[in-house]
Amino acid sequence: MFKNEEMEINLGPQHPSTHGVLRVKLRLDGETITHCRPMIGYLHRGVEKICENQTFFQGQVWTDRMDYCSAVANNLGWAEANEKLFGITVPRRAQYIRTMLNEFNRLASHLIWLATHALDIGAMTVFLYAFREREDILDMNEAFCGSRLTTTAFRIGGLREDLPPGFEKMVQKFLAKFPSCLEEYENLLNENRIWKKRTIGVAKLGAEDAIAMGVTGPVLRAAGVPYDIRKAFPYAAYAEMDFEVPTRTEADTYARYLVRMDEMRQSARIIQQCMDGMPEGPVMAKLPKILKAEVNEVYHATEAPKGEIGYYLVGEKGSSNPYRFHVRAPGFINLQSLPKMAEGGLIADIVAAIGTLDIVLGEIDR
Amino acid sequence: MPIPTLSQSLVITLIQCLLVVIFVFVVVPLTVFAERKVLGYLQQRLGSTRVASGHIGITGWMNRGMWKMGRVPVLSYWRGIPGLVADVLKLILKEDILPAKADKFVFFIAPALSMVAAVVVFAAVSFVPGTFFTLPSWFPYVGGLPVSGGIADINVGLLWILGIASVGVYGIVLAGWASNSKYPLLGGLRSAAQMVSYEVPLALSLLAPVVLSASLNFGEMSARMATGLPAWALAPQILGFLLYLTCGFAETNRLPFDMPEAENELVAGFHTEYSGMKFGFFYLAEYINMTVVAALASGFFLGGPWLLPFGLQGLVNPYLPAFLSWFGEPHAIFFVVKIIFILFTYIWVRGTIPRYRYDQVMSVAWKYLIPMTLFNLLLAAAVRCFAV
Repeated sequence: MFKNEEMEINLGPQHPSTHGVLRVKLRLDGETITHCRPMIGYLHRGVEKICENQTFFQGQVWTDRMDYCSAVANNLGWAEANEKLFGITVPRRAQYIRTMLNEFNRLASHLIWLATHALDIGAMTVFLYAFREREDILDMNEAFCGSRLTTTAFRIGGLREDLPPGFEKMVQKFLAKFPSCLEEYENLLNENRIWKKRTIGVAKLGAEDAIAMGVTGPVLRAAGVPYDIRKAFPYAAYAEMDFEVPTRTEADTYARYLVRMDEMRQSARIIQQCMDGMPEGPVMAKLPKILKAEVNEVYHATEAPKGEIGYYLVGEKGSSNPYRFHVRAPGFINLQSLPKMAEGGLIADIVAAIGTLDIVLGEIDR
Repeated sequence: MPIPTLSQSLVITLIQCLLVVIFVFVVVPLTVFAERKVLGYLQQRLGSTRVASGHIGITGWMNRGMWKMGRVPVLSYWRGIPGLVADVLKLILKEDILPAKADKFVFFIAPALSMVAAVVVFAAVSFVPGTFFTLPSWFPYVGGLPVSGGIADINVGLLWILGIASVGVYGIVLAGWASNSKYPLLGGLRSAAQMVSYEVPLALSLLAPVVLSASLNFGEMSARMATGLPAWALAPQILGFLLYLTCGFAETNRLPFDMPEAENELVAGFHTEYSGMKFGFFYLAEYINMTVVAALASGFFLGGPWLLPFGLQGLVNPYLPAFLSWFGEPHAIFFVVKIIFILFTYIWVRGTIPRYRYDQVMSVAWKYLIPMTLFNLLLAAAVRCFAV
């Protein structure tokens, strides 16, 4: 009697909650999503190709600009991949500082995730509370390396400089107040009826699907798989740190929220341990002025806040730039689980799903 | 007291209309400003601080002093007020874009419908019991005549309010439809479903005051609810008050029920395609509707223009005339203070809780609110039978 049609609608590339220039092509039956295809590439800059035309030292600047919310973690992966390629041993103090800054970066990234995810679901106050703490972390970035967001924090072989004077005080001040800040967010959200209604059972992604699609990071851990590269294949100084890998089994948006909140607590723990056990010594290994590669290839994976970020580097004999460079960006791989999460849900659910995947288009499009 | 002729009473009504319009257009921008500021302070930031003399004059001097002391200046509260004027100017001066495929007539009529429906509701709202003030004798034509506290003292006031308020839904639905665009369409559909659903519990929750006061006239209702019951209407009707407020939030499309314009899902919902003053009309209508909901809430549940509950009003009554000479009409002030409190609650809630999903909004209305309002109605009937 009535004509029944599905409506096709573009979510993005300009949309308040696609976290950048993601475009999702939706087919809607009423408000129910029957078909969902993420379309990417609006922020493609060819980072990998650019890096192949620059020296190993210069490439790091580009890793800042992939996942700009967790530049330090990207730097760490790049530096360690190169160190693996050239067989460089990094001094222990540099390892500790790297670990600490990497965990600070995880906090910053998770805070920005919490902020935007909560804002997507309508809790706008959490947004600004989380940004308040992130500001302190950015201040520390600034104190350490002079820039706040695109840090280029490390060098191949160690660090450019030691920690600035007064840095320890900043860290202790932050660690003293951070647990109460976490409690503040949790007071607003954990037992909030609306928050729970919007997140529990929404955008489910079971362990099998997650593994089949290569999903890593908190999304995988919220499905009950305790896979964390910091534990599984320790790098930097993580082997000496005592921390837990929080997991949940519910595999829904709420579980991912809880996992990330717990991860922030663990990060604070790791930072404390780094501060307590900070060894003395140099922060830079002895390196030649120009790094010339042999024929060699490495794949080095680290646990970025969003999941496994892997750097694949191929060296060419006598060349000072990589022959081939590829990034396994966690956001790119995680994003392919979006249709699985969103199909069958409502429009509001896809917003929650995009938020819970914690995507940054800079690294997806590269 | 002289009895006005028909034409004189028409002039008086015009004066009242003018007063109400002034009230609306003073309260609404201030609410917008308060929203920015209160949200700002809830979120540990300053809110709007630009476009004001933060740097010159006495305020500027004091502000600078406080910044130097390392403290956020209290006076920064007031900076940003000129931003309200700037906002309106911006809306008026902006290019008025008409989408090529829009249904032009409906596209034009929709914001007007929203706005008119929102303002006209005030006709039946009584701000002050009885006479508001008497015009001075030198006033031409209508000198010496009393001006009552509401425009239209009609005995079906509540029906008028509910009826006109539901016309406002058309504005939103038509806007969504006429834009001929997908996001507004979704917004329009959502609002059609949501507002029609929430009108049922809203009307049912307002039925309880009707039962208790045995009247539909706004002034009489608020008088009887305020004076005939202990603790205004709050003691027997606390449930009704909360239910009404919830439905009121939903009817005015405010968080947590801001489905039609859910910014993070539907961009701007039904008014995505609107710009300039047409958008401004929707914006104004939303805030006027908030004021209406607040006026009804304070009128029926918070004792309207009376100051004290528990029958203590008699204690302050002798002092009210003196109060009058210092401040202005006391009843109007009490009423407005209560309205402001409810408006503050709106902003407070917005800063605190997230947004429901569309299907959850509907299930809240049909599964929880309607049974609860029916129960509340029974409660009111019981109070009516045995207590009042």
